[in-house]
Amino acid sequence: MIPELTASVGAPRIAAIEHPFGLTLGMPGDAARQLEVLRSTLRALEEISQPGGVVHLPFEWNAAEKIEMYPPEPPPIVQYLRRHPWYFPRFLKRDPPETRAV
Amino acid sequence: MAKSIDSYRFLEGISKRVMKHWSSLGTSREIPWTPLSKPLSRCIVALLSSAAVALKTDQPFDQDIERRDPWFSDPSYRILPRTASAGEVRVHHRHINPRYAEQDLNCVLPIERLNDLETLGEVAHCAPSHYSYMGYTLRPEALLAHTVPDIIRHLRQGQVDAVVLVPV
Repeated sequence: MIPELTASVGAPRIAAIEHPFGLTLGMPGDAARQLEVLRSTLRALEEISQPGGVVHLPFEWNAAEKIEMYPPEPPPIVQYLRRHPWYFPRFLKRDPPETRAV
Repeated sequence: MAKSIDSYRFLEGISKRVMKHWSSLGTSREIPWTPLSKPLSRCIVALLSSAAVALKTDQPFDQDIERRDPWFSDPSYRILPRTASAGEVRVHHRHINPRYAEQDLNCVLPIERLNDLETLGEVAHCAPSHYSYMGYTLRPEALLAHTVPDIIRHLRQGQVDAVVLVPV
């Protein structure tokens, strides 16, 4: 989904795909796409020969597909940062406050 | 020409900025590496999804933890049998729309597709159990200290050769 982010935590092998969040394998009911994505991912397991290797999977996402990617309610951290914008730099640095802030 | 994916295509605004910055932070640790010891057709394969999938009959992931401390989320995990299907689960991750995976679990945990590959002989076996955790936290200590070792112990007990981690 975001292979650079996955790589940044030291994943040994990465199969990168350009699919929306929550639809990693494809749309509901699209068994053919889901099977090809899983098959290609497992093939990457055989193909990647060095730690941190990345294979870009060839699947195109149909931009005409109407999807609602976001959750029904914004995640708590989004609501929290709207109320406490001075914490945004710490969020950006992945540096949470020592004590739980809510 | 081979496709080069656009990692940020589905992000915008602040979310895009945050993900780009987090990606740049990197890690100082050595990347772990275990060579694949045999062909996939002889491997037992398991799945691990970060979508916080739980059987309806199991304890739900605790979404209130994240409401109380938005830097953190429930660090536990759930076991899903290889027979699990969408009607039997709930998706508790608060940063995605759970609708699609609750309609078809294979969107985030492709158990049926792995069973298909077993039937086709492309993998030896779909593992009897698969796993899910909640893939958002800025306090990963409990996840790393307890959940990850527990899942690894289950995988070793099941003689699993390869695990597909499915981010959402």
